[in-house]
Amino acid sequence: MAVATGLVIVLLLGSSQLRPYDAPELDPRPALLPLYLLLSLARLLVAYVVAVLLALATGHLAARSPVARRFILPTLDVLQSVPILGFFPVAVGFFIGIFQGSALGVEAAAVFLIFTSMFWNLAFGVYESLITLPEEIVLAAKQFGLRGPLRWSRLILPAAVPGLLYNSLVSWANGWYFLIASEIIAVGPARYTLPGLGSYLAQAVTVGRHDQTLLALGVLMATTVGMHLLIWGPFSAWAERFHLEESGEHPRTPRIARGLARSRIVRWVTGRLVVPAGQQGLTAAGRVLDFVGRHALWTTLAAALVVPALFGYGGFRLYGLFKHRPPSRELAGIPFDLLLSFLRVAAGVVVSAVVAVPVAQAIARRPRWRSPALAVIQILASIPATAFFPLIVVLLTWGLGMNVGALLLALTTMFWYVLFNVVGAATAIPRELQEVARSLGLRGGRYLRRVFVPAVLPGLVTGCVTAWGAGWNAMILCEYLEAGGRVYSVRGIGATLDRATYLTADMQVVAVSLGSMIALIILVNRLFWDPLYRHAAERYKMDA
Amino acid sequence: MELSSLPAVVPPEPAPPRPLLRFEGVEQLYDGKIRILGPLDLDVVEGEFLCLVGPSGCGKSTLLRIAAGLLRPTRGVVRLGERVLSGVNSSAAMVFQSFALFPWMTVVENVAVGLEAAGLGPRERFKKAEKYIALVGLSGYERAYPKELSRGMKQLVGVARALAVEPRLLCMDEPFSALDVLTARTMRDLVLDLWANPEVTTRTILMVTHSIEEAVAMSDRVVVLRANPGRVADTVSLAGLPRPRRASDAAVREVIDRMYGLLA
Repeated sequence: MAVATGLVIVLLLGSSQLRPYDAPELDPRPALLPLYLLLSLARLLVAYVVAVLLALATGHLAARSPVARRFILPTLDVLQSVPILGFFPVAVGFFIGIFQGSALGVEAAAVFLIFTSMFWNLAFGVYESLITLPEEIVLAAKQFGLRGPLRWSRLILPAAVPGLLYNSLVSWANGWYFLIASEIIAVGPARYTLPGLGSYLAQAVTVGRHDQTLLALGVLMATTVGMHLLIWGPFSAWAERFHLEESGEHPRTPRIARGLARSRIVRWVTGRLVVPAGQQGLTAAGRVLDFVGRHALWTTLAAALVVPALFGYGGFRLYGLFKHRPPSRELAGIPFDLLLSFLRVAAGVVVSAVVAVPVAQAIARRPRWRSPALAVIQILASIPATAFFPLIVVLLTWGLGMNVGALLLALTTMFWYVLFNVVGAATAIPRELQEVARSLGLRGGRYLRRVFVPAVLPGLVTGCVTAWGAGWNAMILCEYLEAGGRVYSVRGIGATLDRATYLTADMQVVAVSLGSMIALIILVNRLFWDPLYRHAAERYKMDA
Repeated sequence: MELSSLPAVVPPEPAPPRPLLRFEGVEQLYDGKIRILGPLDLDVVEGEFLCLVGPSGCGKSTLLRIAAGLLRPTRGVVRLGERVLSGVNSSAAMVFQSFALFPWMTVVENVAVGLEAAGLGPRERFKKAEKYIALVGLSGYERAYPKELSRGMKQLVGVARALAVEPRLLCMDEPFSALDVLTARTMRDLVLDLWANPEVTTRTILMVTHSIEEAVAMSDRVVVLRANPGRVADTVSLAGLPRPRRASDAAVREVIDRMYGLLA
């Protein structure tokens, strides 16, 4: 708690004093990098803490109340498939309005954007953990009188830990990814820069300073690796006892992290600081969450009123946009933009799937590779696409089309989601099944087709759905980019949205392109991915 | 008192044993339509070991959950002494079929959790938890996690956790059915020893089992339930049979056979 408070204070001081409000230039001296890193970490941490608390409240409510569930799950599902980056201008306008143009407003907008990249999977994780909690354990808690805060700290929170932990890795990877986009905020002519690692990296790429880019990337990777080893590793080792025995395979803790968890210093720190602090934290969180849970009905009701009201207000504003101005000429091009981007995202999904399956099989065949491979995947996944701009630019100057360039950039995000999920599914293939396949002489391509692909199909579909969602976000980043003082752009909905947001400030185009993109995503989810997932989950589930 | 006006030469009749728990017209409907249990009247007498046996679907576990206050009957009431039970029965504690230990707590934390909920301070509750861990014979395993224990040991923790809150009624839901035959037999004897142990305050036990042999080996009285909907088929008193009872004993064999006849 003290660390969190300290970081928040750093954040407040930093944003009020360091932020060059109207000068978008960030002091590029490398000596300032630790400070930038600290500021970025503070933003991520604040967003993460808020996301975890809200995820617990939401997930618990959905697991406990069937009425609330019917409202919460579809809402989460829609919101998670919406390309967050597109909403950024709206959110920034909102927060800057609330804080009346002060630095805090930009800060709040950045934290909010990071929060939206972290929240959804955490909420689903909590919900999954709680809904699969064995009935007798819930009954035992009731029977032995666990109520109120004690129920939270002794039953709900411990039960949610595995789901939270696993999803925290994904959330932090997402958070780093969105950090770049959220520390440089530009709406029309106005441009705000928050000091941080993300803005430093983005600026280095934009002005074409490869040395600074590499330096910032190095810091980013070192931080991610450090967090894996020093925080998530020992934490996973500690949390292994939280797993219910009934549930099947879990990603194992990497050996280095296990070793660290066993070392004397870490044990001392864990025993003296982490566990007591954790217990205090659990109890305190229990009180807060109990309060929220007690007023769950009112919270749901309020949400049920506020969400339609927001939509109504949005509709009203939209109406205003079109009533007072003639429709923008660019609107006519949007359907074709949408088609081009759709083809790009679809190609990205197909390429990811085709490459990920054999790679995952290679990893799965060697159990010793598994945990390091998963760690490497997570680290690579958290490298923001922006960081690959310089590489792509080099390829572009060698004559690569921007069409392929944008796809490659999008793949740097999409591929990892597919691979991560397929590796997860592959490691859960029962050993008997593999042995049967071997004894029947199924090898090579035939093994892949007859055993491996059907076995990992649910994971493959999940990965593709996630990649599909991430792909649309990536389009906003990749179809229009500034690097080394030049603009590289290819026709598509992301480029149209970016131009309307950053150059022309044409809110009509922003509204229509966002709206049509969301409509298309939801439509494809409902008509294609949902039935496919249901089929895969029913037909190819492993617990026969 | 009216009794005092009676002539002193008449010896007072032994008072009928007081029911600790009384089911009155208890019914359980599924989905508000399908009757799975009752209507049913039943007394659990203070100090007795009562077993509920019956085929699957006779609602015996449902009845136990109603007794523990984990489930509210659709119709009818449960009386605890004079009071009508509502909400969780705080004078009862439950032992679960699947043990239902909290995997994130050590043995001692699992045993102490009910005491914590009852508002005992850390020192008192750990002292008491350790006492009951010793009584079930698990001393030395206080800091172990459930995952590290065998199934039999896990259920011992379950029993210690239930006894530690010193309930007037111990409810056991098929406590030995997830154990192998040998372990189950040892556990039966251990529960009977605990019941006879003056250090254990709990005197009344209500146990659900699907095994007639187990019911006959352990209890004072067996309530045989019939299925669809669950109703009392018969009540068999075993008060005349001295423990330990082994199935090789002719008198025990006869009771067992009679009960199989009731269920057939």
